[in-house]
Amino acid sequence: MTVMRIGHVNIRVMDMEAALKHYQNVVGMKITHQDEQGNVYLKCWDEWNKYSVILTLSDQAGMNHIAYKVNNEQDLDALQKKIEAHGIQTEMLPEDTLPFVGRMLRFNLPSGHDMRLYASKECVGTDVGSTNPDPWPDDLRGAGAHWLDHALLMCEMNPEKGINKVADNTRFFIEVLGFFQTEQIVVGPGGAIQLASFLSCSSKPHDIAFVGGDRPGMHHLSFFLDSWHDILKAGDVMAKNRTRIDVPPTRHGVTRGETIYFFDPSGNRNETFAGLGYQAQRDKPIITWTEDQAARGIFYHTGVLNESFTTVYT
Amino acid sequence: MIKSGLQDKTASASQSGQTAAVTHSVRIVDCGAVYLCGEHETLLQGMARLGKKGIPVGCLNGGCGVCKIAIRSGAINKTGAMSRAHVSEQEEAQGVVLACRVSPLEAVEVEVVGKLKKAVTRTPWGAIVT
Repeated sequence: MTVMRIGHVNIRVMDMEAALKHYQNVVGMKITHQDEQGNVYLKCWDEWNKYSVILTLSDQAGMNHIAYKVNNEQDLDALQKKIEAHGIQTEMLPEDTLPFVGRMLRFNLPSGHDMRLYASKECVGTDVGSTNPDPWPDDLRGAGAHWLDHALLMCEMNPEKGINKVADNTRFFIEVLGFFQTEQIVVGPGGAIQLASFLSCSSKPHDIAFVGGDRPGMHHLSFFLDSWHDILKAGDVMAKNRTRIDVPPTRHGVTRGETIYFFDPSGNRNETFAGLGYQAQRDKPIITWTEDQAARGIFYHTGVLNESFTTVYT
Repeated sequence: MIKSGLQDKTASASQSGQTAAVTHSVRIVDCGAVYLCGEHETLLQGMARLGKKGIPVGCLNGGCGVCKIAIRSGAINKTGAMSRAHVSEQEEAQGVVLACRVSPLEAVEVEVVGKLKKAVTRTPWGAIVT
């Protein structure tokens, strides 16, 4: 009864043409579908399902919903019971509510974010195929992102009012969805307040992350690259396209990931993230970053964290 | 006064090959900073390019809302969509806009509305951020 991986993110864009140029030419995704409402569906070359990003035209930026894949249809029913027992209302959306996807379980996280779980999405294969495949395809574009790796969601946090949606989400993901904690940032007396939480449902250092802020939102969606060299090349691609870079190539202390943060034309933050960091396992000791070294957890080289990291997001 | 309507993409402020050299003075009333901003770039780009501070710099793409300003005087041109989560139509009509989405048509005076520095020191991030 396990969640397998991130399935897709639906984000809002204010200029579809500019967004499509960005996700194709800079990130390297390909359009696989457009529906009658004008939503556009894209996938990365190393993914085998139909899409991992859905773009929706809107008058504002930000995330509509995030979806994770579960193993099978019975898992959906079992998780529905567990989620409802936790006190969260759910809705089972019928097959084809989203194109090429089977039934979807919809609910709101304790932080308010709209989350979906699904068991089936059409399998179209990776761009290199499954029979005697090459390691990469000839038509790689831009950064050549392998796959949508994870997302970081901003969650309301106000210790004075006793609000910590980071901790609430973490408890839900562990107790109900079966994720496990890999890393965390703690602050306050005795390190009692969980300010940032990193969780895995695989052997990757994180499949989702939560960070505390003023209001709920999406901090970034992240695309996987192999190595530091690919990160450098991605930075070059961004410069060629005059993409607004938020943080130039560096390393995170948390997850050991090599990273660039940048913005899409609607201000949604993206990340190119490289390296598998370490092997995450349920019995691996949880990594904790303390208040005095938390900045180095986010940006390992400089150990300096600008306030924009926690205040600029959609 | 705001001229609305999206700028022609070929004249977009992000193009480095621009030959336009017409600049206008921009004054940030909060801190008194004054800088010259080209007609081909947004108020925020002009400020950031010169290394000036005063208006918070965020996504530079109209989505995050931290560069919210009020135009006190001077005509500007709107260069792209501003997230309605941060600037309503009424606000925009009253000259409250995102600095990353307007370019100057003449000398402009602006007041910072975005509250980037509001209470960061009092949040859990207070001891961590610079």
